Amino acid sequence: MKTELLIVGAGAAGIAAALSAWEAGCRDILLTDRRECTGGILPQCLHEGFGLAQYGAELTGPDYTDRITERLEHTGVRLVLGTEVLTIRGDKTALLSDRSGLTELHFERLILASGCRERTIGSLPVAGTRPAGIFTAGQVQEMMNLRGQNIGQEVLILGSGDLGLIMARQFVLTGKHVIAVVEKESRYGSMARNYHRCIVPYHIPILYRTTVAAIHGEGRISGVTLRHLDSGAEERLACDTLVTALGLIPERELVRGLGEPDWLFLAGNCHRVHDLVDSAVAEAEAIGTRVGGEFA
Amino acid sequence: MKQFDVIVIGGGLLGCFAARNLCRWKLHIALIEAREDVCTGISRANTAVIYPGYDHRPGSLKAKLTLRANARFGTLCEELDVPFSRCGSLMLSFGEKADEVLKKKYENGRMMGVPGLRLLSGREARELEPGLAPGVRSALYAPTAGTVNPWELGIAAAENAAANGAELFLNTRVLAIRQIADGYRIETDQEVFACRVVINCAGLQAERVQEFLLPSPVHIVPDGADYLILDKAAEHKPTHIVQYEPEDGGKGLTAVPTVEGSLLLGPSERENEIPFAVSEKGLAFVRERTESVLPDLDLGEVIRSFAAVRPNPQKGDGRSIVSFVIENPGPGFWSLIGIKTPGMTCADELGFYIAEKAAACLGAEGNEAFCPIRKGIRKARNMSPEQRGAAVRENPDYGEIICCCEDVTRAEVLEAIRRGAATLDGIKRRTGAGMGRCQGSRCQQKLLALLAQELGIPEDAVTKDGAGSELLGGGRHED
Repeated sequence: MKTELLIVGAGAAGIAAALSAWEAGCRDILLTDRRECTGGILPQCLHEGFGLAQYGAELTGPDYTDRITERLEHTGVRLVLGTEVLTIRGDKTALLSDRSGLTELHFERLILASGCRERTIGSLPVAGTRPAGIFTAGQVQEMMNLRGQNIGQEVLILGSGDLGLIMARQFVLTGKHVIAVVEKESRYGSMARNYHRCIVPYHIPILYRTTVAAIHGEGRISGVTLRHLDSGAEERLACDTLVTALGLIPERELVRGLGEPDWLFLAGNCHRVHDLVDSAVAEAEAIGTRVGGEFA
Repeated sequence: MKQFDVIVIGGGLLGCFAARNLCRWKLHIALIEAREDVCTGISRANTAVIYPGYDHRPGSLKAKLTLRANARFGTLCEELDVPFSRCGSLMLSFGEKADEVLKKKYENGRMMGVPGLRLLSGREARELEPGLAPGVRSALYAPTAGTVNPWELGIAAAENAAANGAELFLNTRVLAIRQIADGYRIETDQEVFACRVVINCAGLQAERVQEFLLPSPVHIVPDGADYLILDKAAEHKPTHIVQYEPEDGGKGLTAVPTVEGSLLLGPSERENEIPFAVSEKGLAFVRERTESVLPDLDLGEVIRSFAAVRPNPQKGDGRSIVSFVIENPGPGFWSLIGIKTPGMTCADELGFYIAEKAAACLGAEGNEAFCPIRKGIRKARNMSPEQRGAAVRENPDYGEIICCCEDVTRAEVLEAIRRGAATLDGIKRRTGAGMGRCQGSRCQQKLLALLAQELGIPEDAVTKDGAGSELLGGGRHED
């Protein structure tokens, strides 16, 4: 199989890149995603705040996804969902896997729009046991909002980035108790907007200059030892769930080791982590226009 | 009452291999395990090394078994369809005293007949392994050292035992053992068993099990250790097992390029208060040691830390026992009570050794029908694109990726559940799902749903590793 332009990832950036490449004149675009739906992580983001610059409205993640997906339907971009890109080779070949088989795809240009993954607690030197009940914030967001899974009741959040604070609010709104948000710095890590919307109105405590030193619990997590970084003092706190928001890592394992060939472009969060979808989209559009123009 | 010829207590590596080898005779065999799966205790975490066996006392049981086990390990792993990497090991010296220690080990190994041993200069060692610290003075190279995944090995042995007729009883905890007229009566929290021979492979619980019968002269003191795992994509990973023992005694470092492609670093040394709880000091120790031995590694690529527990057998006076200890507290009752390093290397040999004793005791006939071959779950990641395409055409589930970090498909997960995985860890140990750089944060929720669906249980009954480790609901179950 062949295509002029392969775009990996049908989230906001991938779709934006596809739309602008189409508008720039490229007529042979294949857009793939491992999920069964478009939008990447947007469908699990039920809060509002997407697309202010683009659409002049604060949309929810699913609404925003509907808008961009509808625009995609008016183009001839081939959308392939439920498809994993297994490997990208230096000879401009991708190996795709889905339930119908394995496909070797030759492309001229590749736009990688594979988003990011979350840093997990495994990377931190945390002592104690390794029980059930520890999740990343994005994982919990998917579990609650897309799968209807109830993750726990007494929740401690480690890290005060945007995702951590947005989930803190959702926990409160769904009747869970947020014991505290724990942050090693002396200021929250999120945008001010999310702090004022998600934390202040619900009186959620943020413990600054504090970290989780140890995890307790044999089967399910039963608590943690907190360490206050300035005094060194430690205290034990009970919880049945630990949610981590330790930051995002651009997901570009697919092209690790390929260097920077002239046919490869990174768009959106896999290039650098953007605070706002508008900014990821603007970056992806510029790349789509440039790359699409080569085939006009 | 369930009647067997032989009952093996404990489904760790030793128990699984004892059961497998007992199947070489015409015997009615049961393997009893307290937990929800095999290999959930000591066997779930260790250094993963298949030792070349150069530092045992020539003529000792340990020396004999290790040498034979190492020579046969490739064949064993072929029989059981378990990945084995004979990557070789380098034991390093950074000082004059250590140079002498390596020379002694070399001489000892040569005397024992360990194949291929070579003493290398620091320069030669760095040629073989460019990431070593420049201060390396000499190294003992053992080409026969290797690595295997401990739980894959144990699960394979258990499956092979079951295929040859051994019966596996999970979630079955031994409460009492009594000697009866023609053997033993074993009471458990499930049912009562009777048998003529008992083989006690209960690991950390082996002393407790033996004391149902007689006071044990051997005490098991749990010995904890911490490990780090580096992502398979991390750069400058060694391709050999790298070992370092400091001159002033104390714990060194072992770095193992695992069969999964990641790098295992450890163990630290400490007394463990809670089994399997990681210590902060231990982690810092492993990091420091790694920085001094393999300075080019980026420890920012750590994806997980965990703790292992080893049974450290001691005599009544508190002295550690170095050799393998097999107790025989009653007729037809054997306790593999003090088997530490290289217990995994020797698991199949020890299994045969004890099975032979049991068979002789019972006057059992050989079982010509015994089949040593077990087929593992076919892993998509090990297939060529052509094989993989064919696999998907045959079974579309091979086309659907569930764990994207480790490239595990739905077909493998379903097969793992069919073979007995009843928990997330059970799936992880059989398929690798959740072991990669995102540590299951993208696949756990899918696995949870699949387990519930396949086992016909509600999602909130699905556990990480047995009752009490439910993944949903938390402690209060208020929803």
